[in-house]
Amino acid sequence: MSLQRLFQKTLFGIFFLFGIIGVATSVLCIRTVDGYLSREYEANSKGIAKTIADASVDIILNRDLSVLQSLIDQFVEIQGISYIYITDESGEFLAHTFVPGIPEQIRTGYTGSTETVERRLPGIGDFVEVSSPILAGISGNVHVGMDMGLLSLRIQGAIGQQVYLITSIFVGGIFVAIWLMGLAAKPIAQLLSYAVRLAGGQADGDDRSETLLARDDEVGHLARLFLYFSEAKDPNRIERATATRPDPDMSGALSG
Amino acid sequence: MAPLTTNTSKAADTGADGQQIVLGMSAAFSGPSRGLGIELYRGATAYFEHVNSTGGVHGRKIALKTYDDGYQPDPSVQNTMTLMLEDRVFALFGYVGTPTVTRVLPMLKKFQDQTVYLFFPFTGAQPQREPPYADFAFNLRASYRQETAGLVDNFVSLGRKRIAVFYQADAYGRSGWEGVRRALKEHGEKIVAEATYRRGQRFDSSMGRQVEILKAANPDAVICIGAYAACAAFLRDAVDLGLSVPVANLSFVGSESLLQLITQSRPDRDRYTDLLVNSQVVPSYEDVRIPAIREYRQLMLRHNPDPPQDLLEQSYSALPQSFVSLEGFLDAKMMVKILDVLGENPDRANLESAVFQIQDFDLGIGELVSFGPDRRQGLQNVYYTIVDAGRFVPLDDWKRRFA
Repeated sequence: MSLQRLFQKTLFGIFFLFGIIGVATSVLCIRTVDGYLSREYEANSKGIAKTIADASVDIILNRDLSVLQSLIDQFVEIQGISYIYITDESGEFLAHTFVPGIPEQIRTGYTGSTETVERRLPGIGDFVEVSSPILAGISGNVHVGMDMGLLSLRIQGAIGQQVYLITSIFVGGIFVAIWLMGLAAKPIAQLLSYAVRLAGGQADGDDRSETLLARDDEVGHLARLFLYFSEAKDPNRIERATATRPDPDMSGALSG
Repeated sequence: MAPLTTNTSKAADTGADGQQIVLGMSAAFSGPSRGLGIELYRGATAYFEHVNSTGGVHGRKIALKTYDDGYQPDPSVQNTMTLMLEDRVFALFGYVGTPTVTRVLPMLKKFQDQTVYLFFPFTGAQPQREPPYADFAFNLRASYRQETAGLVDNFVSLGRKRIAVFYQADAYGRSGWEGVRRALKEHGEKIVAEATYRRGQRFDSSMGRQVEILKAANPDAVICIGAYAACAAFLRDAVDLGLSVPVANLSFVGSESLLQLITQSRPDRDRYTDLLVNSQVVPSYEDVRIPAIREYRQLMLRHNPDPPQDLLEQSYSALPQSFVSLEGFLDAKMMVKILDVLGENPDRANLESAVFQIQDFDLGIGELVSFGPDRRQGLQNVYYTIVDAGRFVPLDDWKRRFA
């Protein structure tokens, strides 16, 4: 009887269980990481938009717009920020970072809303646009476009690491399970071999048999039980059979 | 003669000792706008060398310590730190560009106890002309607002009211854009279309998309706020794509470098330059009736200053004369006058009062220069030039040229 046949169901069970755990953990992880990073990304973007809005008040009221442009040029250097534009209260674009020009969708579709929106700008990419009012909106709004591609990349990276870890544990667990089953199967294989030799009357004086009979575990008990039954059938060897009588609590040990 | 540029020796902590007065300059000596920094440096150097060769200012030679910022803000901030804190220069002089100067100004305020002033930056932007930084800089040239207002007024007077703007996507571009917007507002008009480009674009870049954006608005004229390489590329593509309206540039563009690029790339140059008009903040260097122009031409010929060799990454063909080097020359002349007024014991703490003593000073271009607490810009005039026979000449009649 091969090892696989004996433990096939157990191995499949372990594979199945590990698979379920792996998939469930990955799905949970994807949802958690995606939600967490998306919220963090949006919160950071809003923080940036608010910072620009707060800093813009004095500039819009008192200074040249080149100062405003210089301000947003510094923010747009932050990784993930794709564009920034600032409008006045009438919706006129006061400063922006678009090249070669303000996209048609933004220029013609401007509503003055400060709600977070997702934008697909043809030829440019997909963005989450967050906004912040300047002086409660009476001096205009700041709009910051965050690159969704970069966000997706970050989420994929974070998820990839988690999945990599889970997969590694899964694969490692399988190998460990096989190794442990091998350990468990080896004495059973020896017991089987012993039973075959015993049945053929070839087990006497055998070192392997003596080692097996000396074991203090379930396999040793079974080996001694086989020997007992084998020798109990032979009246000439009744003495040894009595000597190798199994422990009274053996059945308990086997069932235990 | 001792070299004008100092890169090793350190003067006293105040940037002036018994032998020399050290001025610090951070400008574009590399990259697509290097022609601006190099020519400004050459023009200033021609005058400083002349002064040094005739005994200096109160016996002190003027040294110009130069650093390359490539027309990028971060290096210019770093260079300024070095000039102020390590080199301990007497004053900052001849910085090039709005995005660079705009970022440097807060440093001057931060270290205001050291009274390091920025003299005559090569930019017409507002930040160094307005609070809170106006107290730390002195300007010689007219502002971009004055240049753009002049261009808009002239175009509108010809009935060209639909004005579009092509500009560099940074503080410089926005400064010019703001000037155009304000000037048009005075006439009850608005900018009809705008297109931008990223700073550092080379002449071989395509500006086709920008041309298409502006062309769609059917403008009567386009005002460009950019540097020569990108503006030359825009002019090339505008003509090639059939945008046949006057194209104006501001003084910062570097007119000769722009013309050089067009001439080198297009055999039928006139087709591209016929509708070109550039505003300038100094008179035409071709007008030898003007005393300062004669002096400039003479000293440029005599000294023919080299670009700062240690900062030069590629070979550079110097221009015999240019508006940029003329501006550098006049900046240097004004600086020498201020140092002269400062007296025999130059002290940075007295610089501002020395500047304010300059009243009705004749720089030799027909416009008297005065400074004061509420007047930190010396010159106000704007000049307009067009291309004729392959060189920039004064525009005398807007109507005949562009009506």
